[in-house]
Parts: sequence; C-alpha cells; structure tokens
Amino acid sequence: MLHTIPLHYFLIVGTLMFFIGVAGFIIRRNLITILMSVELMLNAVNINFLAVNRYLYPHHLEGHFFTLFIVAIAAAEASIAIALIINIYRRFSTIDVDQVSDMKY
Amino acid sequence: MGIEAVVLLFVVGLFLVGSAVIFAHFFAPKSENHSKFEAYECGIPVRDGAWMQFNVGYYMYALIYLVFDVEIVFLFPWAEVMHDMGTSAFVEVVIFFAVLGLGLAYAWKKNALKWQ
Amino acid sequence: MRHELMLAVSVVVLLVVEIFSSAKHKTNVVLPLSIALMGLSMLVGGMYPEAGTLFGGIYRTDALRTAVKLVLDAGALLVFFQVYGWIRRPENSDKVSEFFILVFSTLIGMHYMVSAGDFMMMYLGLELASIPLSALAAFDRYKRVSAEAGIKYILSSAMSTAFLLFGLSFIYITAGTLHFDALQAAFRPDVLTILGLVFFMAGMAFKISLVPFHLWTADVYEGAPVAVTAYFSVVSKGAAVFVLTWVLYHVFGAAVEQWRIILVTLAVMTMTVGNLFALRQQNMKRFLAFSSIAQAGFILLGMLGQGALGMASVVFYLLVYVFTNIAAFSVVAAISNATGKENIDDYRGLYATNPRLTLVLMVALFSLAGIPPVAGFFGKLFLFNAAASQGYYWLIFVAVVNATISLYYYLRPVRAMFIDKNEHPIAFFKSDAYMRMGLLLCMAGIFATGFISWFFEYLFAVS
Repeated sequence: MLHTIPLHYFLIVGTLMFFIGVAGFIIRRNLITILMSVELMLNAVNINFLAVNRYLYPHHLEGHFFTLFIVAIAAAEASIAIALIINIYRRFSTIDVDQVSDMKY
Repeated sequence: MGIEAVVLLFVVGLFLVGSAVIFAHFFAPKSENHSKFEAYECGIPVRDGAWMQFNVGYYMYALIYLVFDVEIVFLFPWAEVMHDMGTSAFVEVVIFFAVLGLGLAYAWKKNALKWQ
Repeated sequence: MRHELMLAVSVVVLLVVEIFSSAKHKTNVVLPLSIALMGLSMLVGGMYPEAGTLFGGIYRTDALRTAVKLVLDAGALLVFFQVYGWIRRPENSDKVSEFFILVFSTLIGMHYMVSAGDFMMMYLGLELASIPLSALAAFDRYKRVSAEAGIKYILSSAMSTAFLLFGLSFIYITAGTLHFDALQAAFRPDVLTILGLVFFMAGMAFKISLVPFHLWTADVYEGAPVAVTAYFSVVSKGAAVFVLTWVLYHVFGAAVEQWRIILVTLAVMTMTVGNLFALRQQNMKRFLAFSSIAQAGFILLGMLGQGALGMASVVFYLLVYVFTNIAAFSVVAAISNATGKENIDDYRGLYATNPRLTLVLMVALFSLAGIPPVAGFFGKLFLFNAAASQGYYWLIFVAVVNATISLYYYLRPVRAMFIDKNEHPIAFFKSDAYMRMGLLLCMAGIFATGFISWFFEYLFAVS
C-alpha cells in the first residue's frame, strides 16, 4: 500500500514545506508565526529523513532516530523561544518584529 | 528514483515561492488591518485583546508540560530494546528520569508550579 | 568521556546547590564553586588525554580534541572571572546559579560537538550549546535590548539549524549513513550531495557568523550582557570552527574542489565586510562584534590549508583568540560594570585615570590587530602560512590589505585612551579581585602563546 506512492512524492512535499517555512520566516512579522515557520522547516526535514529511511535504507534506523531527536529538541527550542517571546511582550508590549528593534546601525 | 526530478522540483519550488514573494512585494495592495497581526488568521474572530486575558501561569504550565511531554519520545526506543539489554537499560532510564526529576524540582523551587 | 561526565556532574552539583540552599548572597558561594568545578573539569579531562571511540563510534576522542576542549574550557573559565561585578547586582540575585548552569550546559554541548563521530551527535551538541546560549543572551531580562538579543539569537539559530539539517537529509539520500567514517567511504560527489554540503555549510556559517550569514551578530552581541558576549564571540564560535574544519577535511575531503570555492568566497566577503562595518562603530561591544566577524574571515584562511598544518593553525588561532578577545571584553566589562559606559568616546583620557586597564586593553587590541610581539601576530602568521601552502597568494594579499585596514580601527580606542583629551574622563575605580585575576591570566596567556613555541608544535604534532 505504502509502496504504491513513489519516494519522490514525499521528498517534494518535504522540500515545498521547507521553502514555505523559509518564506514565512522572511516575510511574516509576527514572532509566533516566525517560530511556527521554523517548526515547519524542521518538520520538512523530518519528512525527508523518514521517507528516505523507509524507502532506501529500511534495515538501518538512523533516519528514524535522527527524527526522534529533532522532534524532542524542537520542543525544547520552542519552549525557550516562547518564553523569550513572552518576555519580549512584557518589555515591548508587542510581538511585531518591526517594532522589536532598539538597536540600529 | 529520479534524483534529477527532485532537484528540478526543488528549483521550481524555490522559484515559485521566490516569484510569489517578489510579485506580492510589487503588486499587492498594502493594507494594515487588525487580523494581520494575529497569530492565527482563521477560526473564530478573537474577542478583544487576546494577550490580556490569559494569566501568565497558563504559559508557564504549557511550557513545562511541553518539555516533559516530548521527552517521552525517548521511551519508545528504550522500551523496544529494554528486553534485550536488561539491567543496564533500566539503570540508564533511571538516570534519565533522575535528571528530568531534578528539572521538575527546580521548577518547583522557583514557584513555577504555584498558581499566582 | 570523563571530561564531559565531570561537566555534567558540575551542572548537577550547581543545580542541587540552587535547589537546596537558601543563602542570601549566592554569588559568594556559587562563583568560587563554579571556578573550582571548571578547574577540576579541565584537570580531570586534560590530565592524560584519552583516545578511542564510544557508543558504536558516535563519540570519539583523541589528543587534538582534548586540546580543543581545554581551549573552550579555558575560555569559559576566563569568562567566569569577569562576571563578579555584574552577577552580584540586585536584579540578578534570583538567577546567579543559573548563569553558571547554563554556561556549563553549553560547554557540554560543545564538547559533544567536538567529539562527534556522527552527524546526529554533532547536531545534538550544537543544539545543547545554542539553546542555553539564547537564554544567556536574554539574561538581563528587564532590559529591552537583552530580550531582543535573546529572541534574535534563538530564531536565527533555529533557522540555521534547519538549513543544516535539510542539507544533511540530502546527504543521507545518496550516502545512506550519517556516520563520519562510513560517509567518507561512501562519498560520491554528485549533485545532491554537493547541494547538501552547501546547505550544511550555510548552517555552520550562521554559527560562526560569516558574511552573508552575520546579520544577527551585531545586535546579539550588543544586546547581551558583556560576559555573555565574550562567551559568544570566543567559545561558541571556537567549537563550531573546529567541527566545520574537521568535517570538511575528513568527511567531505573528496569534494575539496567544491568547498574550497565556497570558503574562499566567504573568507573574502567576511574579512572585508567585517572590517568596513567595524570602522564606523561607536559602541565598544558592537565594535568588537564586527572585529570578531573579520577575525572569523582570517580563520577561514587557515581552513584552506590542508591536513595537519591547516588544522593546527586553526586551533592555535582559537587558543590565541580566547585569551585576546576575553581580555578585551573583560576590560569593557570592568568599565561597563563600574560606570555603565560602553562608547569609544567615553574611553578618552582613560590612561590618566586607569593606566593598568588601559595597558591590558592595548595589548589585547594589538594582539587582535596582529602587531608583531604579541600572540595575535603569530596566530595570523600560521593562518597565512597554511593558506600559502596551498598556493592562495592572492587571498593572502587580500587578507594583508584587510589586516592593514583593521589596524586603523584597532588603534582608534588606543588613541582615544592615550592621546585624546577629555574634560571628564572615567574616574579611577578598583576592579574586584576576580576581575584582576582574570585579566592577569589573559595577559599570561597572550604572552605565553606568543613566546613559547611549544603550543603550536604540540598542536601540529597531534593534529
């Protein structure tokens, strides 16, 4: 059932997701949305790793383990980032990146 | 397995996103409205200042929950090999939980678990 | 492994002290304890360098890696010496131990990065190093700039990590493994692998803040507390530089033609842009931030040299850079702690009031500029030598031109301190004992690495 879907379909989804994340990171102005974009990028990487592992190298679980670690670390990263965003909101009363910028050249 | 196709699609994906951004930058009408600055642009409209209503305690619980919850993913591979590895696997998971417990004790000490 | 275990034990000890002690003035307990634990870790880890692999080859250590780890530890230790005046302030009283716990955690991460035998281990180390670093950048959480520095660092570091992982997923497609040795054996320089290599290098370039991936650097360096900035610019950069060098030499050795082009481009851009921006900075921290960007460009020259020569010149430069840059940052921290002033103009006439601090800063800046008698000169010499061994004479010419430009801005604070007149110079102040001890160690390090040739010879022998 699974093998009727070719591998490159997964890779296309992963690549598109990654670049949607990049675009979101660059053009969105809300800190939480930027964080969501980063998570999208990391999940795109997860899709790549899992699909490649399942299709091409099913006897080693390297890709699966890498994905587990990416998931766990992304959670740690997200919790720190959200804590920092709360702090930003308390200091600046906004989470719009254009206004969170006291330092200039 | 068509690696060329992947690379081609990768380039096309880059081009699509890039051209959309550039096109929007030059041609899209720019309007500032309230919902643009909300984290979620769908669903029920947010009633007045979404930020003011939540007690910060919610965030504190959510963050602590998030971290401890996700650590559980490491228990799946552990449970898989537990039977073969025997005692050493058990000792390792006890150390793992001791470190997590220390983190919880720290949160407790810092009054992060107290509802303020 | 005992080196990392000792650091982990240090974290646990500090955490237990924080949880169970109710001392009023924690600084006086925690700071000496942390310094002692760090010294002990260096002793335990560095006494008899061990060699071997663990966990099926994903952790490996040898004399060179031990040396790099000791350099990183020395950087952290020197940072500990300069924090006293800042960490004992009332607004930091509820998070004294946390500073040290976070620094120890990042060190464990960097040690694992240095000791990685596998991209997964490297990624874990990288994240363990950079997540606590973002908390450190936002450590002055009541200051707007510090909060801003923290969020800028975590978001840009998360994005760079995503790039790095995306590159690794491409490499995984063709090679089927992420283990360094297996990857080297299975290496095929096809288009997908090269694409992965480019993404990987982009991710690492963010961490080392190479142009054009440097945009976060100046803001984070300026916003973070001075001690944290010193730590950022030296220690966290050093670990990433070593890993990138090692991976390029030993894993992507077959693609040397491809990564050389990238490195040369990055080196030229980084040196030039770092210098040009450093020229116009007024804030001392921002000035040192751009200077450290330019220094990273010089380090890339050493990476271009192959084999032991390139590796030894890079690690030796890191060693010199640790002492030099932390000395400069310590003086900035001392002045900032005592008076709150951070601009170059405020330093005018400093020699008349604080001659000893001025001399330390002068030696550090001379060393950064690469003026002969001090260590920085030899560091740059070995980097140029490594690049010359591969025939990059035009690149060395560019680097020398850049080093000459850098003289101008490195001498600007020196001129301000010695020559410029000032109606109201910064009044005389006495630094605390820790700070004086730290500055003394930095000076000793700068002169020792400059005059004793054993350091370079040892690094050359083990790399």
